[in-house]
Amino acid sequence: MRIAILGQPNAGKSTIFNAVAGYKSASANFSGTTVQYTESTVRLNGMIAEILDFPGCYSFSATSEAEFEIRKYLLTRPIDVIIGVLDASQLSRGLPLIIELMELDIPLIVALNMMDEAHRKGMEISTDTLSSIFSLPIVETIASKNIGVRELFNAVRTILAEREFPNRQSLRFQKDVEQIVTRMEQRIPAANIQDQLLSTRFLAMKLLEDDTELLRQLHYLNPDELIRTARGFQRDLEHIRGKPGDTVLTMERNALAQEIVNRVTTVHHPRSRWYDRLDDILMHRFWGYVIMALLIGGIFYLIFGVGAGIETPLLELFDRLEMALKKTFDESGLWYTILRGALFGISGGVAIVLPYLIPFLLVLSILEDAGYIPRIAYLMDSFMHRIGLHGTAILPALLGYGCTVPAIMATRILPSRRDKVIAGTIATLVPCSARSVVILSLVGFYLGAPAALFIYVLNIAIIGLAGKLMASMMPQPTPGMIMEVPPYRWPVPVTVLRKVWFRIREFIIIAWPLLIIGSIIVSIASYFQWTGIINDILSPLTSGILGLPAAVGMTLVFGVLRKELSLIMLVQAIGTTNVPAVMSAGEIMTFAVFVTFYIPCVATIAALYSQLGWRWMTVISLFTLVLAVLLSLLVKSGFLLVF
Amino acid sequence: MKNLLEVKSHKTLKISQIDGGQNVRKKLSVMGIGVDSSIKVIRNAPFAGPLIIEHAGSQTAIGRGIAAKIQVEELE
Repeated sequence: MRIAILGQPNAGKSTIFNAVAGYKSASANFSGTTVQYTESTVRLNGMIAEILDFPGCYSFSATSEAEFEIRKYLLTRPIDVIIGVLDASQLSRGLPLIIELMELDIPLIVALNMMDEAHRKGMEISTDTLSSIFSLPIVETIASKNIGVRELFNAVRTILAEREFPNRQSLRFQKDVEQIVTRMEQRIPAANIQDQLLSTRFLAMKLLEDDTELLRQLHYLNPDELIRTARGFQRDLEHIRGKPGDTVLTMERNALAQEIVNRVTTVHHPRSRWYDRLDDILMHRFWGYVIMALLIGGIFYLIFGVGAGIETPLLELFDRLEMALKKTFDESGLWYTILRGALFGISGGVAIVLPYLIPFLLVLSILEDAGYIPRIAYLMDSFMHRIGLHGTAILPALLGYGCTVPAIMATRILPSRRDKVIAGTIATLVPCSARSVVILSLVGFYLGAPAALFIYVLNIAIIGLAGKLMASMMPQPTPGMIMEVPPYRWPVPVTVLRKVWFRIREFIIIAWPLLIIGSIIVSIASYFQWTGIINDILSPLTSGILGLPAAVGMTLVFGVLRKELSLIMLVQAIGTTNVPAVMSAGEIMTFAVFVTFYIPCVATIAALYSQLGWRWMTVISLFTLVLAVLLSLLVKSGFLLVF
Repeated sequence: MKNLLEVKSHKTLKISQIDGGQNVRKKLSVMGIGVDSSIKVIRNAPFAGPLIIEHAGSQTAIGRGIAAKIQVEELE
């Protein structure tokens, strides 16, 4: 059994998915949060089913890669039932997609989501009338509060169990257009279509929309002849309406949708909320920027304050544990070495990474769910244009402050390959939460918050320069921004917490054990003095060019596995958590700058490969290495000059 | 006929024509911004940034390049 959740961006698909599957799919209050589908096996009252959470799409015309991705899936694998998620407060925009979903001729059930928001907007929707117009089961939901989700899946179960497919007749267009569609349908050879997954009506629509991309995937249909036929009908459509075929069909769907909306909704006076007026300040041409700067600066200090406040006592605790270890075991013995390695690995996770990672992800999740991120994109659009991109490209960059991998995945929302390459490079340069941990707990903790802030500012300046440079090497007029600005929403605490857990889980179950094992290995290796070999190989770079202790060589190798490892391994390599005892301020700064910029971690390299191909993967990785060397040299000589 | 950059904010407008490539047109129309839709410019970003238009209860940010291609008529 396969259940697909489909709907327009930001309609709440992932929230519905997460409500039944547990938090497995990132959700946020802006379009394009889900870029690939997420799959999960669930039990619905004893029935086992696969649930698929697809990225949002406005239609099936494949104007974005996400839409293309969905169609590819529909072409290759059968789906038993579709849950069409409809944002009740955006009914007239959402209905055309539901009309398109009906054309697929797959059992469909509609979740009329965000009913609370529709009420606030003063919209009263008669679900019964809507249901009878479509001859479809429609369930009202408020997924964020888990209202109606159970009823929705009960209805899904009924359809699956009884194989009861409501006998619905497709909605019809206006007569003249409908006639052409029917004639096109008749030309599609029925014999060939039998085992295929797409309905003739859906195919006819796509043919009339001149969707050659889709046809190329359907070789069994003898596409050349069909395309020729379709061209004729396209001309007919153009003749009767004076507009290209695809426009005619979209307009028909929109008109049909509008007609239905008028029939099923009554609009009262909207209840205004104080945060509807928030944009007058937050998107203000002057105050918007002031508040954005204050907000981001404030968040930085908040995270730093919380992190440092937790880090200090925890480090003291672990120092005492180490002392105890020293007393209990022979300091020159192998047991002591192994246990000390494990202790460093554990303390690295608890005392150094998590105190910064958790508040950071908490704040990021709140901003995402409240809907502030697209506002940043709006405010920054003209600046992004200066570096040859448009404001939407800032979304991956902002996601990059969380983790670089989803940030690179998110470059899919950009229209051209060139934009993807530039945005992918930028996303790689943005310090992810792991690198933020290095910056905050090394530079911030030992040298003070302004020093840490300096690295962030330097990073933004470098990103600007790198973007500008790449844009001038690949000149192309940037297509303008088209971005939905969602209404503000109160972040739901449970969702925010689950999202934070979703994001740190990977650190706790994969990275942390790796960190402890790595720490033990380094400990043993240094006991037998093996680390020297790696450190010697890297010493031309580490002590030669950068003027750092040769012991950091090993940490940089680990840093490629995961960025936070470089910090913990540093502690391991120099043998103390009291870093300033071994490294000068200049050396700490040089090290941190190098770690911030150099070669992305393996997961990022893999993401770059999958999105941009091996060539750009290599170019970007080498570019970051060169950049890291140059910048840390600059910082090093800066320190020599000034201090 | 004026384009979106030439009209005042908070006036109700009707789109009469969208110039430019098929892609932009398609993208706008599936978001519910097509010929005959009624829209309103509600915000203008400084430094030649995007406009925010309101249409059927939702808000969309549109770059100036695209806004210049959207021809509108002022209603009322």
